[in-house]
Amino acid sequence: MDLMLFAPEITMVATGLAVLLIGLFLPVDSKKVLGYLASLGIIAALYLTIVSLGTNTLAFYDTLSVDALSQFFKIVFLVVALLFSIASIKYTEGSAHVEEFYVLAIFATIGMMLVASANDLMVLFVAFELASISTYALAGFEKKNPQSLEAAMKYFLIGSLSGALMLFGITFLYGVTGTTSIPGIADSGAAIAASPIGIIAVVLLIAGMGFKIALAPFHMWAPDTYQGAPSLVSALLAAGSKKMGIVAAFKVFIVALIALQVQWQIAFAVLAVITMTLGNVAALSQTSVKRMLAYSSLAQAGYITMAFVVLTPMALGGGILYALSHGFMKAGAFIATAAVVYMVLSENKDTKDPDHIDNFKGLGQRMPVTALSMTIFVFALAGIPLTAGYMSKFVLFSSTIQAGFAWLAVIAIINSAISLFYYAKIVKYMYFLPTEGTKVSEPLPYTIALVVAVIGVLAIGFWPEPFIYWAMEAGKVLLAGGI
Amino acid sequence: MIPVELYIGLSVVIFSIGLYGFMTQRNGVRMLMCVELMLNSANINLVAFSSYHGNLTGQVFVLYVIALAAAEAVVGFAILMSIFRMKDMIDLDKINILRW
Repeated sequence: MDLMLFAPEITMVATGLAVLLIGLFLPVDSKKVLGYLASLGIIAALYLTIVSLGTNTLAFYDTLSVDALSQFFKIVFLVVALLFSIASIKYTEGSAHVEEFYVLAIFATIGMMLVASANDLMVLFVAFELASISTYALAGFEKKNPQSLEAAMKYFLIGSLSGALMLFGITFLYGVTGTTSIPGIADSGAAIAASPIGIIAVVLLIAGMGFKIALAPFHMWAPDTYQGAPSLVSALLAAGSKKMGIVAAFKVFIVALIALQVQWQIAFAVLAVITMTLGNVAALSQTSVKRMLAYSSLAQAGYITMAFVVLTPMALGGGILYALSHGFMKAGAFIATAAVVYMVLSENKDTKDPDHIDNFKGLGQRMPVTALSMTIFVFALAGIPLTAGYMSKFVLFSSTIQAGFAWLAVIAIINSAISLFYYAKIVKYMYFLPTEGTKVSEPLPYTIALVVAVIGVLAIGFWPEPFIYWAMEAGKVLLAGGI
Repeated sequence: MIPVELYIGLSVVIFSIGLYGFMTQRNGVRMLMCVELMLNSANINLVAFSSYHGNLTGQVFVLYVIALAAAEAVVGFAILMSIFRMKDMIDLDKINILRW
Protein backbone atom coordinates (compact mmCIF):
# COMPACT_ATOMS: atom_id res chain seq x y z
CA MET A 1 0.00 0.00 0.00
CA ASP A 2 1.23 3.40 -0.95
CA LEU A 3 0.96 6.06 1.75
CA MET A 4 1.25 8.75 -0.93
CA LEU A 5 -2.38 7.96 -1.83
CA PHE A 6 -3.44 9.47 1.47
CA ALA A 7 -1.06 12.40 1.25
CA PRO A 8 -3.97 14.88 1.04
CA GLU A 9 -5.45 13.62 4.33
CA ILE A 10 -2.04 13.45 5.99
CA THR A 11 -1.29 17.00 4.86
CA MET A 12 -4.59 18.18 6.29
CA VAL A 13 -4.02 16.45 9.64
CA ALA A 14 -0.52 17.92 9.84
CA THR A 15 -1.85 21.38 8.98
CA GLY A 16 -4.57 21.10 11.59
CA LEU A 17 -2.19 20.05 14.35
CA ALA A 18 0.37 22.69 13.33
CA VAL A 19 -2.26 25.44 13.40
CA LEU A 20 -3.48 24.29 16.81
CA LEU A 21 -0.02 24.08 18.39
CA ILE A 22 1.42 27.26 16.86
CA GLY A 23 -1.74 29.12 17.80
CA LEU A 24 -1.12 28.33 21.46
CA PHE A 25 2.09 30.33 21.53
CA LEU A 26 1.10 33.32 19.41
CA PRO A 27 -0.12 36.64 20.80
CA VAL A 28 -3.61 37.61 19.62
CA ASP A 29 -2.51 40.27 17.14
CA SER A 30 -0.21 37.95 15.19
CA LYS A 31 -2.68 35.06 14.92
CA LYS A 32 -3.45 36.19 11.40
CA VAL A 33 -0.58 34.01 10.22
CA LEU A 34 -2.60 30.91 11.15
CA GLY A 35 -5.07 31.68 8.38
CA TYR A 36 -2.27 31.82 5.81
CA LEU A 37 -0.83 28.58 7.17
CA ALA A 38 -4.19 26.80 6.97
CA SER A 39 -4.81 28.09 3.46
CA LEU A 40 -1.37 26.91 2.32
CA GLY A 41 -1.97 23.47 3.81
CA ILE A 42 -5.31 23.20 2.03
CA ILE A 43 -3.76 24.30 -1.27
CA ALA A 44 -1.08 21.61 -0.86
CA ALA A 45 -3.73 18.97 -0.12
CA LEU A 46 -5.74 20.15 -3.13
CA TYR A 47 -2.68 19.83 -5.36
CA LEU A 48 -1.93 16.33 -4.03
CA THR A 49 -5.54 15.30 -4.67
CA ILE A 50 -5.57 16.62 -8.22
CA VAL A 51 -2.37 14.79 -9.17
CA SER A 52 -3.77 11.53 -7.82
CA LEU A 53 -6.93 11.74 -9.97
CA GLY A 54 -7.14 8.54 -11.95
CA THR A 55 -5.64 6.14 -9.43
CA ASN A 56 -7.91 3.33 -8.42
CA THR A 57 -6.99 1.22 -5.42
CA LEU A 58 -8.01 0.03 -1.96
CA ALA A 59 -6.04 0.61 1.22
CA PHE A 60 -6.02 -0.12 4.96
CA TYR A 61 -7.54 -3.62 4.77
CA ASP A 62 -9.96 -2.49 2.05
CA THR A 63 -11.65 0.03 4.33
CA LEU A 64 -10.64 3.07 2.28
CA SER A 65 -10.78 3.40 -1.47
CA VAL A 66 -8.99 5.89 -3.68
CA ASP A 67 -10.78 6.22 -7.01
CA ALA A 68 -12.25 8.83 -9.31
CA LEU A 69 -15.30 9.23 -7.07
CA SER A 70 -13.40 9.78 -3.85
CA GLN A 71 -10.85 12.11 -5.43
CA PHE A 72 -13.53 14.17 -7.17
CA PHE A 73 -15.45 14.71 -3.96
CA LYS A 74 -12.22 15.44 -2.05
CA ILE A 75 -11.60 18.22 -4.56
CA VAL A 76 -15.08 19.58 -3.86
CA PHE A 77 -14.48 19.57 -0.09
CA LEU A 78 -10.99 21.03 -0.35
CA VAL A 79 -12.15 23.81 -2.66
CA VAL A 80 -14.89 24.74 -0.19
CA ALA A 81 -12.43 24.56 2.70
CA LEU A 82 -10.00 26.77 0.79
CA LEU A 83 -12.62 29.45 0.09
CA PHE A 84 -13.71 29.23 3.72
CA SER A 85 -10.20 29.49 5.06
CA ILE A 86 -9.19 32.47 2.88
CA ALA A 87 -12.31 34.42 3.79
CA SER A 88 -11.92 33.54 7.49
CA ILE A 89 -8.62 35.41 7.66
CA LYS A 90 -10.67 38.59 7.85
CA TYR A 91 -13.53 37.14 9.87
CA THR A 92 -11.30 35.89 12.69
CA GLU A 93 -9.16 39.02 12.77
CA GLY A 94 -8.66 40.16 16.35
CA SER A 95 -10.27 37.05 17.85
CA ALA A 96 -8.45 35.09 20.53
CA HIS A 97 -9.84 31.80 19.19
CA VAL A 98 -8.45 31.76 15.65
CA GLU A 99 -6.74 28.39 16.06
CA GLU A 100 -9.89 26.66 17.30
CA PHE A 101 -11.85 28.06 14.38
CA TYR A 102 -9.36 26.79 11.80
CA VAL A 103 -8.74 23.45 13.49
CA LEU A 104 -12.43 22.64 13.68
CA ALA A 105 -12.88 23.54 10.02
CA ILE A 106 -9.85 21.50 8.96
CA PHE A 107 -10.96 18.46 10.94
CA ALA A 108 -14.46 18.78 9.53
CA THR A 109 -12.90 18.75 6.07
CA ILE A 110 -10.85 15.67 6.93
CA GLY A 111 -14.05 13.93 8.04
CA MET A 112 -15.72 14.81 4.75
CA MET A 113 -12.70 13.58 2.77
CA LEU A 114 -12.70 10.28 4.63
CA VAL A 115 -16.42 9.82 3.97
CA ALA A 116 -15.63 10.24 0.29
CA SER A 117 -12.95 7.53 0.59
CA ALA A 118 -14.83 5.16 2.89
CA ASN A 119 -15.31 1.64 1.66
CA ASP A 120 -16.67 0.34 4.95
CA LEU A 121 -19.72 1.51 6.86
CA MET A 122 -17.73 1.71 10.10
CA VAL A 123 -15.23 4.14 8.59
CA LEU A 124 -18.07 6.00 6.91
CA PHE A 125 -19.93 6.48 10.19
CA VAL A 126 -16.87 7.54 12.18
CA ALA A 127 -15.80 10.03 9.49
CA PHE A 128 -19.37 11.31 9.20
CA GLU A 129 -19.43 12.00 12.93
CA LEU A 130 -15.99 13.63 12.85
CA ALA A 131 -17.29 16.13 10.32
CA SER A 132 -20.58 16.59 12.17
CA ILE A 133 -19.13 17.13 15.64
CA SER A 134 -16.59 19.65 14.36
CA THR A 135 -19.29 21.63 12.58
CA TYR A 136 -21.61 21.65 15.63
CA ALA A 137 -18.97 23.59 17.49
CA LEU A 138 -18.30 25.86 14.51
CA ALA A 139 -21.97 26.79 14.16
CA GLY A 140 -21.99 28.03 17.76
CA PHE A 141 -18.68 29.82 17.43
CA GLU A 142 -20.04 33.28 18.25
CA LYS A 143 -20.87 32.24 21.77
CA LYS A 144 -22.18 35.65 22.82
CA ASN A 145 -24.61 35.76 19.92
CA PRO A 146 -27.98 34.14 20.73
CA GLN A 147 -28.70 33.46 17.05
CA SER A 148 -25.48 31.55 16.60
CA LEU A 149 -26.11 29.51 19.75
CA GLU A 150 -29.63 28.68 18.74
CA ALA A 151 -28.41 27.63 15.31
CA ALA A 152 -25.77 25.41 16.91
CA MET A 153 -28.26 23.84 19.28
CA LYS A 154 -30.78 23.01 16.56
CA TYR A 155 -28.04 21.68 14.33
CA PHE A 156 -26.59 19.61 17.15
CA LEU A 157 -29.87 18.03 18.24
CA ILE A 158 -31.02 17.18 14.74
CA GLY A 159 -27.53 16.09 13.74
CA SER A 160 -27.20 13.70 16.67
CA LEU A 161 -30.66 12.30 15.93
CA SER A 162 -29.66 11.73 12.31
CA GLY A 163 -26.45 10.03 13.44
CA ALA A 164 -28.43 7.70 15.72
CA LEU A 165 -30.92 6.83 12.97
CA MET A 166 -28.14 6.15 10.50
CA LEU A 167 -26.25 4.00 13.00
CA PHE A 168 -29.35 1.96 13.78
CA GLY A 169 -29.84 1.37 10.06
CA ILE A 170 -26.21 0.30 9.68
CA THR A 171 -26.53 -2.20 12.54
CA PHE A 172 -29.39 -3.93 10.71
CA LEU A 173 -27.35 -4.16 7.55
CA TYR A 174 -24.56 -5.70 9.59
CA GLY A 175 -27.06 -8.07 11.16
CA VAL A 176 -28.32 -9.35 7.83
CA THR A 177 -24.98 -9.60 6.04
CA GLY A 178 -22.45 -10.13 8.84
CA THR A 179 -20.09 -7.52 7.41
CA THR A 180 -19.76 -3.75 7.34
CA SER A 181 -17.78 -3.62 4.12
CA ILE A 182 -19.71 -1.79 1.39
CA PRO A 183 -18.87 -4.25 -1.45
CA GLY A 184 -19.49 -7.10 1.01
CA ILE A 185 -23.00 -5.83 1.68
CA ALA A 186 -23.59 -5.46 -2.05
CA ASP A 187 -22.58 -9.13 -2.49
CA SER A 188 -25.24 -10.22 0.01
CA GLY A 189 -27.87 -8.20 -1.85
CA ALA A 190 -30.19 -11.18 -2.20
CA ALA A 191 -30.25 -11.74 1.58
CA ILE A 192 -31.09 -8.07 2.22
CA ALA A 193 -33.83 -8.04 -0.38
CA ALA A 194 -35.37 -11.23 1.06
CA SER A 195 -35.41 -10.01 4.67
CA PRO A 196 -37.95 -7.49 5.99
CA ILE A 197 -35.08 -5.92 7.93
CA GLY A 198 -33.69 -4.63 4.63
CA ILE A 199 -36.60 -2.21 4.23
CA ILE A 200 -36.26 -1.01 7.84
CA ALA A 201 -32.58 -0.35 7.22
CA VAL A 202 -33.34 1.60 4.03
CA VAL A 203 -35.92 3.76 5.82
CA LEU A 204 -33.55 4.49 8.72
CA LEU A 205 -30.66 5.27 6.38
CA ILE A 206 -32.75 7.56 4.17
CA ALA A 207 -33.93 9.42 7.28
CA GLY A 208 -30.39 9.66 8.71
CA MET A 209 -28.82 10.91 5.50
CA GLY A 210 -31.86 12.97 4.56
CA PHE A 211 -31.27 15.06 7.69
CA LYS A 212 -27.68 15.70 6.65
CA ILE A 213 -28.52 16.50 3.02
CA ALA A 214 -31.54 18.48 4.31
CA LEU A 215 -34.12 16.77 2.12
CA ALA A 216 -37.69 17.73 2.94
CA PRO A 217 -39.31 16.64 5.29
CA PHE A 218 -36.01 16.32 7.18
CA HIS A 219 -34.95 19.91 6.45
CA MET A 220 -36.40 21.89 9.41
CA TRP A 221 -33.02 22.57 10.96
CA ALA A 222 -31.29 23.79 7.81
CA PRO A 223 -32.80 27.27 7.30
CA ASP A 224 -32.49 28.07 11.02
CA THR A 225 -28.91 26.86 11.22
CA TYR A 226 -27.73 28.51 8.02
CA GLN A 227 -29.32 31.79 9.08
CA GLY A 228 -28.04 31.81 12.63
CA ALA A 229 -24.54 30.39 12.19
CA PRO A 230 -21.70 32.73 11.20
CA SER A 231 -22.03 33.27 7.42
CA LEU A 232 -18.73 31.56 6.63
CA VAL A 233 -19.73 28.52 8.65
CA SER A 234 -22.99 28.44 6.71
CA ALA A 235 -20.86 28.34 3.57
CA LEU A 236 -18.99 25.32 4.92
CA LEU A 237 -22.23 23.61 5.95
CA ALA A 238 -24.18 24.25 2.79
CA ALA A 239 -21.36 23.66 0.36
CA GLY A 240 -19.34 21.02 2.20
CA SER A 241 -21.31 19.14 4.82
CA LYS A 242 -24.29 18.71 2.50
CA LYS A 243 -22.07 17.15 -0.20
CA MET A 244 -20.74 14.77 2.43
CA GLY A 245 -24.29 13.52 2.99
CA ILE A 246 -24.69 13.13 -0.76
CA VAL A 247 -21.50 11.15 -1.27
CA ALA A 248 -22.35 8.94 1.73
CA ALA A 249 -25.81 8.32 0.27
CA PHE A 250 -24.24 7.53 -3.12
CA LYS A 251 -22.03 4.92 -1.50
CA VAL A 252 -24.63 3.39 0.78
CA PHE A 253 -27.56 3.26 -1.62
CA ILE A 254 -26.08 2.94 -5.09
CA VAL A 255 -23.19 0.65 -4.17
CA ALA A 256 -24.23 -1.26 -1.04
CA LEU A 257 -28.02 -1.40 -1.34
CA ILE A 258 -28.39 -1.75 -5.10
CA ALA A 259 -30.52 -4.86 -4.47
CA LEU A 260 -33.27 -2.68 -2.98
CA GLN A 261 -33.02 -0.21 -5.86
CA VAL A 262 -36.76 -0.21 -6.63
CA GLN A 263 -37.73 0.70 -3.08
CA TRP A 264 -35.31 3.57 -2.55
CA GLN A 265 -35.70 4.97 -6.04
CA ILE A 266 -39.37 5.68 -5.36
CA ALA A 267 -38.52 7.23 -2.00
CA PHE A 268 -35.86 9.47 -3.55
CA ALA A 269 -38.17 10.49 -6.41
CA VAL A 270 -40.78 11.69 -3.90
CA LEU A 271 -38.16 13.39 -1.70
CA ALA A 272 -36.53 15.12 -4.68
CA VAL A 273 -39.81 16.59 -5.91
CA ILE A 274 -40.95 17.74 -2.44
CA THR A 275 -37.52 19.15 -1.59
CA MET A 276 -37.00 21.24 -4.72
CA THR A 277 -40.55 22.58 -4.73
CA LEU A 278 -40.62 23.41 -1.04
CA GLY A 279 -37.15 24.99 -1.17
CA ASN A 280 -37.98 27.25 -4.10
CA VAL A 281 -41.44 28.26 -2.89
CA ALA A 282 -40.26 28.99 0.65
CA ALA A 283 -37.31 31.02 -0.64
CA LEU A 284 -39.64 33.41 -2.48
CA SER A 285 -40.84 35.20 0.63
CA GLN A 286 -37.59 35.38 2.65
CA THR A 287 -36.15 38.71 3.73
CA SER A 288 -32.98 37.31 5.27
CA VAL A 289 -30.53 36.59 2.47
CA LYS A 290 -28.88 33.76 4.40
CA ARG A 291 -32.25 32.12 4.92
CA MET A 292 -33.07 32.58 1.26
CA LEU A 293 -29.78 30.94 0.31
CA ALA A 294 -30.57 28.13 2.75
CA TYR A 295 -33.88 27.42 1.06
CA SER A 296 -32.25 27.67 -2.35
CA SER A 297 -29.70 25.18 -1.09
CA LEU A 298 -32.58 22.81 -0.29
CA ALA A 299 -33.76 23.17 -3.85
CA GLN A 300 -30.29 22.42 -5.19
CA ALA A 301 -30.10 19.29 -3.03
CA GLY A 302 -33.42 18.30 -4.57
CA TYR A 303 -31.93 18.57 -8.07
CA ILE A 304 -28.88 16.51 -7.09
CA THR A 305 -31.17 13.85 -5.59
CA MET A 306 -32.62 13.32 -9.05
CA ALA A 307 -29.43 11.40 -9.85
CA PHE A 308 -30.59 8.67 -7.45
CA VAL A 309 -33.84 8.32 -9.35
CA VAL A 310 -32.43 8.25 -12.87
CA LEU A 311 -29.35 6.16 -12.05
CA THR A 312 -27.68 6.22 -15.45
CA PRO A 313 -23.93 6.95 -15.73
CA MET A 314 -24.70 10.32 -17.30
CA ALA A 315 -27.18 11.30 -14.59
CA LEU A 316 -24.74 10.34 -11.86
CA GLY A 317 -22.05 12.32 -13.66
CA GLY A 318 -24.44 15.25 -13.79
CA GLY A 319 -25.24 14.95 -10.10
CA ILE A 320 -21.57 14.77 -9.17
CA LEU A 321 -20.72 17.72 -11.42
CA TYR A 322 -23.59 19.59 -9.79
CA ALA A 323 -22.02 18.89 -6.41
CA LEU A 324 -18.79 20.59 -7.55
CA SER A 325 -20.60 23.55 -9.13
CA HIS A 326 -22.81 23.91 -6.09
CA GLY A 327 -19.68 23.95 -3.93
CA PHE A 328 -18.36 26.99 -5.82
CA MET A 329 -21.68 28.79 -6.24
CA LYS A 330 -23.11 28.33 -2.78
CA ALA A 331 -19.85 28.87 -0.91
CA GLY A 332 -19.31 31.99 -3.01
CA ALA A 333 -22.81 33.32 -2.35
CA PHE A 334 -22.45 32.80 1.40
CA ILE A 335 -19.01 34.42 1.41
CA ALA A 336 -20.41 37.43 -0.46
CA THR A 337 -23.15 37.62 2.17
CA ALA A 338 -20.47 37.35 4.85
CA ALA A 339 -18.67 40.32 3.30
CA VAL A 340 -21.89 42.35 3.41
CA VAL A 341 -22.53 41.29 7.01
CA TYR A 342 -18.98 42.30 7.88
CA MET A 343 -19.48 45.71 6.29
CA VAL A 344 -22.83 46.27 8.03
CA LEU A 345 -21.48 45.23 11.41
CA SER A 346 -18.38 47.37 11.08
CA GLU A 347 -20.60 50.40 10.41
CA ASN A 348 -22.92 49.69 13.31
CA LYS A 349 -22.05 46.97 15.79
CA ASP A 350 -25.61 46.46 17.05
CA THR A 351 -27.46 45.92 13.78
CA LYS A 352 -30.12 43.30 14.43
CA ASP A 353 -30.33 41.46 11.11
CA PRO A 354 -27.09 42.19 9.28
CA ASP A 355 -28.04 39.86 6.44
CA HIS A 356 -31.42 41.50 5.79
CA ILE A 357 -31.99 42.08 2.10
CA ASP A 358 -32.34 45.84 2.68
CA ASN A 359 -28.64 45.91 3.44
CA PHE A 360 -27.99 44.78 -0.14
CA LYS A 361 -29.55 48.00 -1.51
CA GLY A 362 -27.17 49.75 -3.85
CA LEU A 363 -24.42 47.25 -3.19
CA GLY A 364 -23.35 47.69 -6.81
CA GLN A 365 -22.01 51.12 -5.87
CA ARG A 366 -20.94 50.39 -2.33
CA MET A 367 -19.01 47.13 -2.86
CA PRO A 368 -18.64 46.62 -6.63
CA VAL A 369 -16.58 43.41 -6.57
CA THR A 370 -18.79 41.71 -3.99
CA ALA A 371 -21.93 42.75 -5.84
CA LEU A 372 -20.61 41.54 -9.19
CA SER A 373 -19.53 38.17 -7.77
CA MET A 374 -22.84 37.77 -5.94
CA THR A 375 -24.62 38.43 -9.25
CA ILE A 376 -22.54 35.74 -10.97
CA PHE A 377 -23.24 33.26 -8.15
CA VAL A 378 -26.99 33.77 -8.05
CA PHE A 379 -27.24 33.60 -11.82
CA ALA A 380 -25.19 30.41 -11.75
CA LEU A 381 -27.48 29.00 -9.06
CA ALA A 382 -30.46 29.84 -11.26
CA GLY A 383 -28.78 28.12 -14.21
CA ILE A 384 -28.04 30.98 -16.62
CA PRO A 385 -25.86 29.76 -19.57
CA LEU A 386 -22.07 30.04 -19.51
CA THR A 387 -21.94 29.35 -15.78
CA ALA A 388 -21.28 26.18 -13.82
CA GLY A 389 -24.91 25.96 -12.75
CA TYR A 390 -26.10 25.85 -16.35
CA MET A 391 -23.64 23.12 -17.39
CA SER A 392 -24.51 20.84 -14.48
CA LYS A 393 -28.24 21.41 -14.84
CA PHE A 394 -27.94 20.73 -18.56
CA VAL A 395 -26.16 17.38 -18.04
CA LEU A 396 -28.45 16.33 -15.21
CA PHE A 397 -31.77 17.34 -16.76
CA SER A 398 -30.98 16.06 -20.25
CA SER A 399 -29.94 12.68 -18.83
CA THR A 400 -33.21 12.62 -16.90
CA ILE A 401 -35.19 13.12 -20.11
CA GLN A 402 -33.07 10.54 -21.95
CA ALA A 403 -33.77 7.94 -19.28
CA GLY A 404 -37.51 8.45 -19.69
CA PHE A 405 -38.21 10.52 -16.59
CA ALA A 406 -39.55 13.50 -18.54
CA TRP A 407 -42.05 14.36 -15.78
CA LEU A 408 -39.23 14.74 -13.27
CA ALA A 409 -37.23 16.94 -15.63
CA VAL A 410 -40.29 19.12 -16.26
CA ILE A 411 -40.81 19.62 -12.52
CA ALA A 412 -37.13 20.48 -12.11
CA ILE A 413 -37.18 22.99 -14.98
CA ILE A 414 -40.34 24.68 -13.66
CA ASN A 415 -38.58 24.91 -10.31
CA SER A 416 -35.51 26.49 -11.90
CA ALA A 417 -37.79 29.08 -13.43
CA ILE A 418 -39.39 29.86 -10.05
CA SER A 419 -35.95 30.17 -8.48
CA LEU A 420 -34.98 32.87 -10.97
CA PHE A 421 -37.50 35.16 -9.28
CA TYR A 422 -35.79 35.35 -5.91
CA TYR A 423 -32.29 35.29 -7.35
CA ALA A 424 -33.23 38.22 -9.56
CA LYS A 425 -34.64 39.97 -6.49
CA ILE A 426 -31.16 40.03 -4.91
CA VAL A 427 -29.71 41.47 -8.12
CA LYS A 428 -32.47 44.08 -8.26
CA TYR A 429 -31.67 45.16 -4.70
CA MET A 430 -27.96 45.35 -5.46
CA TYR A 431 -28.13 47.33 -8.71
CA PHE A 432 -31.46 49.06 -9.09
CA LEU A 433 -32.41 50.32 -5.65
CA PRO A 434 -30.93 53.55 -4.29
CA THR A 435 -28.82 53.58 -1.13
CA GLU A 436 -27.88 56.21 1.39
CA GLY A 437 -24.61 54.42 2.22
CA THR A 438 -21.31 55.36 0.66
CA LYS A 439 -18.70 53.27 -1.07
CA VAL A 440 -16.68 51.18 1.37
CA SER A 441 -13.34 49.50 0.86
CA GLU A 442 -13.87 45.79 0.46
CA PRO A 443 -11.90 43.53 2.82
CA LEU A 444 -9.19 41.85 0.77
CA PRO A 445 -9.51 38.22 2.02
CA TYR A 446 -13.21 38.16 1.19
CA THR A 447 -12.45 39.57 -2.24
CA ILE A 448 -9.78 36.95 -2.94
CA ALA A 449 -12.13 34.14 -1.92
CA LEU A 450 -14.89 35.59 -4.10
CA VAL A 451 -12.58 35.92 -7.11
CA VAL A 452 -11.44 32.29 -6.71
CA ALA A 453 -15.05 31.13 -6.56
CA VAL A 454 -15.99 33.25 -9.60
CA ILE A 455 -13.10 31.74 -11.55
CA GLY A 456 -14.34 28.26 -10.60
CA VAL A 457 -17.92 29.01 -11.61
CA LEU A 458 -16.89 30.48 -14.97
CA ALA A 459 -14.28 27.79 -15.66
CA ILE A 460 -16.88 25.05 -15.39
CA GLY A 461 -19.24 27.13 -17.53
CA PHE A 462 -16.81 27.98 -20.34
CA TRP A 463 -14.58 24.92 -20.36
CA PRO A 464 -16.71 22.06 -19.03
CA GLU A 465 -15.11 19.09 -20.85
CA PRO A 466 -12.53 18.01 -18.22
CA PHE A 467 -15.01 18.53 -15.38
CA ILE A 468 -17.73 16.51 -17.13
CA TYR A 469 -15.18 13.82 -18.00
CA TRP A 470 -14.07 13.36 -14.38
CA ALA A 471 -17.60 13.55 -13.05
CA MET A 472 -18.60 10.78 -15.48
CA GLU A 473 -15.60 8.70 -14.40
CA ALA A 474 -16.71 9.17 -10.79
CA GLY A 475 -20.24 8.11 -11.71
CA LYS A 476 -18.91 4.97 -13.42
CA VAL A 477 -17.13 3.96 -10.20
CA LEU A 478 -20.48 3.93 -8.42
CA LEU A 479 -22.22 1.81 -11.02
CA ALA A 480 -19.27 -0.56 -11.44
CA GLY A 481 -19.29 -1.20 -7.70
CA GLY A 482 -22.97 -1.98 -7.70
CA ILE A 483 -23.24 -4.45 -10.55
CA MET B 1 -28.57 -19.51 24.48
CA ILE B 2 -30.89 -16.52 24.12
CA PRO B 3 -32.08 -16.24 20.50
CA VAL B 4 -30.93 -13.14 18.59
CA GLU B 5 -34.54 -12.04 17.98
CA LEU B 6 -34.96 -11.17 21.67
CA TYR B 7 -31.95 -8.88 21.54
CA ILE B 8 -33.34 -7.16 18.46
CA GLY B 9 -36.66 -6.80 20.27
CA LEU B 10 -34.91 -5.22 23.25
CA SER B 11 -32.91 -2.82 21.10
CA VAL B 12 -35.98 -1.81 19.07
CA VAL B 13 -37.90 -1.10 22.29
CA ILE B 14 -35.05 1.02 23.69
CA PHE B 15 -34.65 2.83 20.37
CA SER B 16 -38.36 3.61 20.29
CA ILE B 17 -38.26 4.94 23.85
CA GLY B 18 -35.36 7.17 22.86
CA LEU B 19 -37.10 8.40 19.70
CA TYR B 20 -40.36 9.03 21.56
CA GLY B 21 -38.52 10.96 24.25
CA PHE B 22 -36.66 12.99 21.64
CA MET B 23 -39.92 13.97 19.98
CA THR B 24 -41.82 14.86 23.17
CA GLN B 25 -39.24 16.28 25.60
CA ARG B 26 -38.34 19.97 25.39
CA ASN B 27 -35.46 20.02 27.84
CA GLY B 28 -32.08 20.03 26.12
CA VAL B 29 -30.44 17.62 28.57
CA ARG B 30 -33.30 15.14 28.39
CA MET B 31 -33.18 15.21 24.60
CA LEU B 32 -29.46 14.47 24.79
CA MET B 33 -30.18 11.51 27.07
CA CYS B 34 -32.71 10.21 24.56
CA VAL B 35 -30.08 10.36 21.82
CA GLU B 36 -27.76 8.36 24.09
CA LEU B 37 -30.52 5.75 24.48
CA MET B 38 -30.82 5.45 20.73
CA LEU B 39 -27.05 5.08 20.29
CA ASN B 40 -26.93 2.43 23.00
CA SER B 41 -29.77 0.45 21.48
CA ALA B 42 -27.66 0.34 18.32
CA ASN B 43 -24.80 -0.97 20.47
CA ILE B 44 -26.97 -3.81 21.77
CA ASN B 45 -27.80 -4.67 18.18
CA LEU B 46 -24.17 -4.65 17.16
CA VAL B 47 -23.02 -6.89 20.01
CA ALA B 48 -25.91 -9.31 19.51
CA PHE B 49 -25.25 -9.60 15.78
CA SER B 50 -21.54 -9.90 16.43
CA SER B 51 -22.07 -12.99 18.57
CA TYR B 52 -24.69 -14.31 16.13
CA HIS B 53 -22.34 -14.08 13.16
CA GLY B 54 -19.31 -15.10 15.20
CA ASN B 55 -17.13 -12.22 13.96
CA LEU B 56 -15.71 -9.31 15.91
CA THR B 57 -16.60 -6.45 13.56
CA GLY B 58 -19.67 -5.53 15.59
CA GLN B 59 -17.79 -5.37 18.87
CA VAL B 60 -15.09 -3.16 17.37
CA PHE B 61 -17.83 -0.92 16.00
CA VAL B 62 -19.34 -0.65 19.50
CA LEU B 63 -16.09 0.73 20.88
CA TYR B 64 -16.08 3.44 18.21
CA VAL B 65 -19.72 4.27 18.89
CA ILE B 66 -19.06 4.66 22.63
CA ALA B 67 -16.15 7.02 21.92
CA LEU B 68 -18.22 9.01 19.44
CA ALA B 69 -21.18 9.27 21.80
CA ALA B 70 -18.86 10.70 24.45
CA ALA B 71 -17.42 13.24 22.01
CA GLU B 72 -20.88 14.21 20.88
CA ALA B 73 -22.07 14.68 24.46
CA VAL B 74 -19.09 16.94 25.19
CA VAL B 75 -19.88 19.28 22.32
CA GLY B 76 -23.60 19.11 23.02
CA PHE B 77 -23.26 19.98 26.69
CA ALA B 78 -20.89 22.81 25.82
CA ILE B 79 -23.50 24.30 23.51
CA LEU B 80 -26.26 23.81 26.10
CA MET B 81 -24.04 25.40 28.77
CA SER B 82 -23.50 28.54 26.70
CA ILE B 83 -27.24 28.78 26.13
CA PHE B 84 -27.89 28.30 29.83
CA ARG B 85 -25.41 31.05 30.69
CA MET B 86 -27.15 33.45 28.36
CA LYS B 87 -30.79 32.64 29.08
CA ASP B 88 -30.77 30.82 32.42
CA MET B 89 -32.84 27.95 31.00
CA ILE B 90 -32.65 25.25 28.33
CA ASP B 91 -36.32 24.92 27.47
CA LEU B 92 -36.18 24.58 23.72
CA ASP B 93 -39.71 25.86 23.19
CA LYS B 94 -38.55 29.26 24.40
CA ILE B 95 -35.44 29.39 22.22
CA ASN B 96 -36.99 30.52 18.98
CA ILE B 97 -35.50 33.70 17.57
CA LEU B 98 -34.87 31.99 14.27
CA ARG B 99 -38.03 31.41 12.34
CA TRP B 100 -39.95 33.10 9.62
